[in-house]
Amino acid sequence: MNAKANKNQGSCIEPSYYQAVTKAIRTQAVQILKEGTVAGLVGYLPGRRKGTARPALITTPEEAEKLIFSPACVNNLSVYLTKSKKGVLKQGRIGIVAKGCDMRALAGLMGESQIKREDLFIIAVDCAGVYGSGAERSETVTEANIARKCLECSVHHPEGADFVAGSATDLSGLTPLEAEEMARIEALPQAERWAFWKEHFSRCIRCMACRQVCPFCYCEQCLCDKNRPQAVESSPRPAGNTAWHIVRAMHLAGRCGGCAECERVCPMDIPLNLLNRRMAKELKELYDYEAGLAPAEKGPLTQYREDDDQSFIK
Amino acid sequence: MPQIITEENLRNLIDLLVKESKVVVGPKETGSVVLYQPLTAGSDLRLDSLPRRSAKELFFPICENILTYQRQDGKMQVTDVDRSHFPETVLIGAPPCDAASPAILDAVFSWDYNDEFYLERRRKSTIVGIACTKGDDACFCTAVGLARDTEAGSDLFLTPLKDGSYGCKAVTEKGKALVDAHAALFGEAASVDAALFVEQGTEKLDLAKIKNWLEGHFEDPLWEKIADICVGCGSCAFICPACHCFDINDEGSTEQGSRRKHWDACGFSKFTNHASGHNPRDVQNKRYRNRIMHKFKYYDDKFGKTLCTGCGRCVRACPVGIDIAEILSTINAKQD
Ligand code: SF4
Ligand code: SF4
Ligand code: SF4
Ligand code: SF4
Ligand code: SF4
Repeated sequence: MNAKANKNQGSCIEPSYYQAVTKAIRTQAVQILKEGTVAGLVGYLPGRRKGTARPALITTPEEAEKLIFSPACVNNLSVYLTKSKKGVLKQGRIGIVAKGCDMRALAGLMGESQIKREDLFIIAVDCAGVYGSGAERSETVTEANIARKCLECSVHHPEGADFVAGSATDLSGLTPLEAEEMARIEALPQAERWAFWKEHFSRCIRCMACRQVCPFCYCEQCLCDKNRPQAVESSPRPAGNTAWHIVRAMHLAGRCGGCAECERVCPMDIPLNLLNRRMAKELKELYDYEAGLAPAEKGPLTQYREDDDQSFIK
Repeated sequence: MPQIITEENLRNLIDLLVKESKVVVGPKETGSVVLYQPLTAGSDLRLDSLPRRSAKELFFPICENILTYQRQDGKMQVTDVDRSHFPETVLIGAPPCDAASPAILDAVFSWDYNDEFYLERRRKSTIVGIACTKGDDACFCTAVGLARDTEAGSDLFLTPLKDGSYGCKAVTEKGKALVDAHAALFGEAASVDAALFVEQGTEKLDLAKIKNWLEGHFEDPLWEKIADICVGCGSCAFICPACHCFDINDEGSTEQGSRRKHWDACGFSKFTNHASGHNPRDVQNKRYRNRIMHKFKYYDDKFGKTLCTGCGRCVRACPVGIDIAEILSTINAKQD
């Protein structure tokens, strides 16, 4: 399949592309399980409802035959490699199906010494986009039902994987809604910006789904669960909600890989990725740092240097 | 003669009730989501989508003060919340999967202890339920013994008619009182032709059989199979009309603050963490098992009711696609 044939602009990615990716993933997964290259693999299986998919932990070649990749494969599966899901997969090398945007999380987790490259077998997907929240689960992905992050995706040709499923897709020419929304909010007077977030935070029910799906929220003791003494009010009220969102944004600044999972899973439709992206912009301006696909270095806010600027400490 | 109310008069009814200083709650657009919220006028009512959170929050709020404290001259002053101020409330537009839930929850909130916060709100509320015409592939109310036109839990029950008006049936005295007090808005119809309903695809579940299986399978590989992918958030519990776990926290300073009751969820890793540090549900599969056991066995053991109305909210919201309807039908199909 050539690049132009997969062009998304104006029309849509054909279901046949996802079928081809599915086939490639299955073949590869079956092979590495048979050969014993990996002890297990995290991928996607179809859900009961039409046009849905869900994460799955696969340990046999038979199960691997059922793996899929479809526009419903929205999850960032790297969360299953973190401490918070420890013990779920058998020890040994683990296979993982990863879209480009998920690979940034893998890189970040490697940078934070949470996983080792040699313990992974990455089946990357040359990704043509996934469904956005509330999207019509039709056969095809179009500009109307694609996830917002995909509209401005820069990593759909992943590099550095052990295997890449699918061939070059072209997602250019889409309207970057998220960037537009961020620009709109940034242009608002401070009071209106505050009102915008206040309204959103007021709907937060503190279900913590945003925390639980985030690959970088792997702390075994979250500040927000602490109650002796209580660090952040845990009741879903304005004070605690605002504190939670500030803590979340700050703890993820310079670490967030931008998978937008937190925003996707929020049952209250709170646009969390706008906060993530704002923090990312801050990090870019202050430290010329961007979360990328190279795991080598530590983020600017997670390392200490002797020559760090201390002048702000009075 | 069957009674009816036109769409216009239904909205007028809301306007009137608001004028009478009643709190009227119904599905309302709030940001990008529809939630059960106080309606300021009849025009606020949205009947075309199931609210994201269930109607339980009317009786069991997300968060409420149960007392406040203040230190004065070195002495601690504790003040109870005056529950007589809870307003008379009319809930309008709850489909059967939501309208049925308070009646299920009454049992647990008035069992070994009368939760007056919940019960006082129940006393002061009237529920206007509405037959459902929507249903999607996540809904399974019919599989757990409810139906699109179940009146249970409603005080007044509306049935959308083909001509756009609603058939009305007073199910309880409260419902009758509501109709009688605003008789001019209700009319009589020669016949009522109910609007159509999209049938749900799920098969009927044998809840007794499922319970029976659960009784003998506290330890079963199924729990691990499911819960391996569960990320342990509270989404499924928080938006469920039947989940009712709460936590109580004292929040504030040593000088003043509140004791608050707020939603909690059995999926959280700290939910059963003991002060000793021991956690009997230390891994996710034990937590997910509790969710199913509580809904389909324990609650039935204790109160003779199932703790799920098949609204499908948890199915739609689970970040990792855990599908309770699928799990129930898997159990339903098991031979041993
Ligand atoms: S952001 Fe890019 S890699 Fe991620 S799902 Fe969208 S198109 Fe695929
Ligand atoms: S997922 Fe949404 S509602 Fe839940 S805690 Fe996070 S922001 Fe709040
Ligand atoms: S904060 Fe959100 S976007 Fe960033 S890595 Fe975590 S889940 Fe992904
Ligand atoms: S368990 Fe799920 S389907 Fe059942 S009532 Fe609760 S949210 Fe609805
Ligand atoms: S919503 Fe899904 S992931 Fe979250 S606790 Fe419930 S079953 Fe687990």
